[in-house]
Amino acid sequence: MTTIIKFIFCFFIISNSVLADNNKAAYELYKELRCLVCQNQSLLESDAPLALDLKKVVRDKIELGQSKNEIKKFLVDRYGEFILLKPKYSIQNILLWLGPILFLFIGFFVTFVFLRKQSMYKEEPLPLTNKEENSLKKILDNNVS
Amino acid sequence: MIIELGHFLLALALSLSIFQFLVPAVGVKFNYHSMMKSTSIISYMSFILVLFSFLSLVYAYITSDFSVSLVAKNSHSLKPLLYKISGVWGNHEGSLLLWVLILTFYSVAVAILGRRLPLKLLSLVLSCQGLIAVAFISFILFTSNPFVRIFFPNAEGEGFNPILQDFGLAIHPPFLYLGYVGLSVTFSFSIAALLVGKVDTIWVKWVRPWTLIAWVFLTIGIALGSWWAYRELGWGGWWFWDPVENASFMPWLVATALLHSSIVAEKRDTLKAWTILLAIIAFSFCLLGTFIVRSGVLVSVHAFASDPSRGLYILLLLVFFTGGGLVLFAKRAPYLKSGSLFKPLSREGALVINNIIFASAAATVLLGTLYPIFIDAINNSKVSVGPPYFEAVFIPLMVPAILLCAFSPMLSWKRAIIDNIIERIIAVFICSLFLASLIIIIHGGSASAFLGLFLAFWLICGTLYEFLIKVGVKSSFKTFIQRALNLPRSAYGMSVAHIGVAIFIIGVTVSGAWRIDIEKPIILGEKIIVKDIELTFKNIKKVEGPNWNADRGEFEIITSNGAKHFLYPERRFYPASQVNTSEPAIMSGIFSDLYIVLGESLQEEDSFAFRIYYSPFISWIWFGILLMAVGGILSLSDRKHRLGYGLKQV
Amino acid sequence: MKNKLKYFYSYTPLIVFLILVLFFARQLILKEDPSELPSVLIDEKFPSIILSELEGYKVFSNKNLINANGPSLVNIWSSWCVPCKVEHEYLMSMSNNDNIIIYGINYKDNKAEALKVLDLNGNPFYAIGADQDGMQSINLGVYGVPETFIIDRDGNIRYRHVGPILEYDMEKIILPIINKIKQERL
Repeated sequence: MTTIIKFIFCFFIISNSVLADNNKAAYELYKELRCLVCQNQSLLESDAPLALDLKKVVRDKIELGQSKNEIKKFLVDRYGEFILLKPKYSIQNILLWLGPILFLFIGFFVTFVFLRKQSMYKEEPLPLTNKEENSLKKILDNNVS
Repeated sequence: MIIELGHFLLALALSLSIFQFLVPAVGVKFNYHSMMKSTSIISYMSFILVLFSFLSLVYAYITSDFSVSLVAKNSHSLKPLLYKISGVWGNHEGSLLLWVLILTFYSVAVAILGRRLPLKLLSLVLSCQGLIAVAFISFILFTSNPFVRIFFPNAEGEGFNPILQDFGLAIHPPFLYLGYVGLSVTFSFSIAALLVGKVDTIWVKWVRPWTLIAWVFLTIGIALGSWWAYRELGWGGWWFWDPVENASFMPWLVATALLHSSIVAEKRDTLKAWTILLAIIAFSFCLLGTFIVRSGVLVSVHAFASDPSRGLYILLLLVFFTGGGLVLFAKRAPYLKSGSLFKPLSREGALVINNIIFASAAATVLLGTLYPIFIDAINNSKVSVGPPYFEAVFIPLMVPAILLCAFSPMLSWKRAIIDNIIERIIAVFICSLFLASLIIIIHGGSASAFLGLFLAFWLICGTLYEFLIKVGVKSSFKTFIQRALNLPRSAYGMSVAHIGVAIFIIGVTVSGAWRIDIEKPIILGEKIIVKDIELTFKNIKKVEGPNWNADRGEFEIITSNGAKHFLYPERRFYPASQVNTSEPAIMSGIFSDLYIVLGESLQEEDSFAFRIYYSPFISWIWFGILLMAVGGILSLSDRKHRLGYGLKQV
Repeated sequence: MKNKLKYFYSYTPLIVFLILVLFFARQLILKEDPSELPSVLIDEKFPSIILSELEGYKVFSNKNLINANGPSLVNIWSSWCVPCKVEHEYLMSMSNNDNIIIYGINYKDNKAEALKVLDLNGNPFYAIGADQDGMQSINLGVYGVPETFIIDRDGNIRYRHVGPILEYDMEKIILPIINKIKQERL
C-alpha cells in the first residue's frame, strides 16, 4: 500500500518538473485569462489582436522570470478581476468557492433529517444476521437455478 | 401566400391550445367525461396545425423566398439544401417554432400512448401541455414572429452564419429540443400528480420512460453540440463551459438525477416528493436555459441575437411555470404519503447520494454561470467565471459519484450488509489500481491522469463484475448464456450506460493529459514530426465552394505504420456575410486525432500560421456519451418500461 | 409544530427561485451591456508610458498630465479604426470650441496612414504619442479603440469612455465631468 502511495507521489513530482517548462507555464496562464474583446473565450482560444498582444506580455514576463501570480496581478491591476477566468479566493467570491460544499452539506443534512424522521415514525424489523442472510441467499439461489 | 397560411395556422394553433388547456381543466373540475375525452383530439389537431405552419416556413427557406424577413436575414440562395432546411431552426424565431412543434408532438404522443391512463390524470397532463403551448405560441406570435414579410425584398439573402453550416449542428437543435421539451412531459405529469394529490405506482411507471426519452435525446443533443464545437471552432477543445453550453448541461444533470431517483420511486415507492421536485426543476432549467440563451443577460459565444423584451417575456414564462409548479409543490408535497423505509447503506441510499451529488453539481454549474450577475448586483464589480473554475469544482464533485456508481448496483435494496460486498470492492479496487498504475508507468503522466484512469477502470471493473455476479460466475457456460439472455434489458441498459461513462472519462483524461499542441508558422515544403506522425506541408491553393472561396492547404501525413493520408485545412471566406472562418482538417482515429488549423498567411513568402493538435483517444469522449444514450435506449426497450405496459391490469 | 416546519421546508425551493428571478429582472431592466468593462484605473495616477514620435507633432508623455492647468483628455485612436473617424469631429469641436487639451495615443498604426488622417481631417491633439506595438496601451487597460480617458489636474484618471464619443456622449457625459473637474479647487 505504501509503495503505491509513493508511486503516486512520484508522479506528482514528475509532472511538476514538466510544468516548470516556460511554454507550459504560458499555456496554463493563457487558459486562465480571458480574451477581453471576445465573447467568452480564453487567451488560448483566441486570435484577436488584443489577445495576441496579451499573450506576448505573458510570454515576455515569463521569460523575465516572473511568477504566475505576479503576471496575474499585473494584468488585474490594469484590466480588473474580469480578466481572470478562475476567480480569486476572496471574500467577494466566497460563495462561489464554498458553494459546492454548501450544496452537498444541505443535501446530506436534508437526507439525514428525512431518514431519522422516517425511522422515528415506523417500526423497523430487526436486521438479519450474517448467518441468516447466507442461508436465505442459498435458498434464493436454489430457486433461481 | 403559403407563408401567410403558415402564419394563420399558427394563430389557429394558439386558439386550439387554449382549448387544450381549458377543456380538460373544466372537464376535470366538473367531472364531465366527454370533455376530458375530447382533449386528445384537440391535441392531434393542434399538432397538425403547427406541423403545417412549420412546413410553410421550411418551404420559404427551400425556395429562398427573400420577401420573408427571416429568410432574407438567415439564408442565401447558394446555400446547400441541407443548410437551407437547418437554417429554419438556426435562428431565434424558427428555433422557437421547432420547440413548439416538438411540444405538440409530445402532447400527441402522450395522448396516444396514454389511452390507458386514468382519464383524470391524462386530461390534466394534456391540459398542462396545452398551457405551455399557449405560452410559447403567443411568445412566437407577439415577440418573435417568423412569418413577417418585408415590402421591398432584396434579390439575395444575407447568408447564414457560416460557422453554423455543419451537419452536426444542423441536427443538434432538434435533438436538444426533443430533450428539453421531453422534460415538459415529466413536468406536466408532476403538476397533474400534485393536482390529483396522489402519486402512485402507475404515475412513476409513466414518468420513468418519459424521463428516459428526454434524457436520451438531451444526451445526444449535447454530444452533437460538443462534437460540432470540436470540429468547427478550431481550437481542438470540446467543452468550453460557456453559459449556453451550461444551459443545456444543467437540465442534463437534473434529468440524470431524476432518472436515478425515479428508479427508487418505481421499485421502492419512496422519494416521491423529491422525484416530483426534480421533474419540476428539470423543466425549469430548460426554461432558464432558454432565458440565458435568448435574453442577452450573460456574455456567450453562442447566444442568439438578444432582445430585452423577449428576455422579459421568457422571464415571465419562467416565473409562471416554475413559480407555479413550486407553489403547488410547496402546498401539496407535505401531504404526499412517504413510502417504504431504507437504511443509509442500501441501493436506495446509494441512489440518494447520487441524487445529492448530481443536484449539487447542477446547482454549482448554475452558481458559476450566474455568479457574474450576482456580483454585479451586490458589489457592482465584474468577475469572470470560466473553465478553470468549473474544472476545479466539478471534477471533485463527480469523483465520489463515479466511485459510488461502480458498486451501488451490487448493494441490495432496503438494507445492504457491507460484509457481502467488501471483498468485491477490494477486488475491483486492486484491479483498477493495477491497470491505472500500469498505464502511468509505461506512458508517464500527471496525478490527475492517474486519477482519471483509475476512476474509469474502477467503473469498468465494477460494472463487469456486477454483471458477472448477476449471471453467475461459477455456473456452466450454458446456464451463463441462459441467465444472460434472461436478464432484463434495463439491467443491460444500466451497465452499458455506466461503461459509457467510463469510456467518456478515458477520453477526457487521455486527450487532456497526452495532448500535443503545436502553434507555429510553417513554410511550404516543411516537414514536422508530431509524436510518431510525419507531416509535410505540400501545397496551398485557392478553391471555390457553393457559397464561399478558400485557401486550401495540403498536408501529407505518414503515420508510424507507413500509411499515407492527406489533410486539407481551409481558411474560408463567405462573401455573403463577409466572414472568415477556419475549417480545421481532422484525421480521426480510434486512438488519436490529428487536427490541423490553417491560420493567416504571414509576411514571409509561403509561410502560414498553423495550429496542430494531436489528441489521443479524444473520439472516446463522444463514443462514451453515445454509449450512455444507447444504454438509455436499451433501458427504454425493456418490457416493463414500454409505455403503457402493465396498465391493463389496473 | 411539526407540520408547520414541514411546510416551511417545502417552500424553500420557491424562495430560492424567486431570489434568482430578482437578479435576472435587475439585469434585464438595467439593460447593461454585459461585455462592457469598467476601468480599474479610476482615481489612479495615469500610468507612465513610453511612446514614440509621430513626425511633425509634439510627443505626448504622462509628464504632460502632471500639474496641468486643467482637465485633459487622452484619446486612443487609429487610422484603421472606423468609429475613430466618427468621433473625430467631436474631438475637433471639443479642442476648438471648448478649449480642452486632448492628447492622442496612436494605437498600433502605420505612421504614414496616421499622418494622412490628421492632414485630411484636422488635428484635435495637443500632443501625440505613437504606441506601435500596442504594448504601452496595455498599461492603460485598453481593450479596444477608440477609448478616451478624462484626466484631472493632478494626473488622475477620472473617467474612461469605451467606444466612439458621439454628440450625446460629448454633451451629456464628457463635458459635464470636465466642467466638474474645472470647478474643483477654484
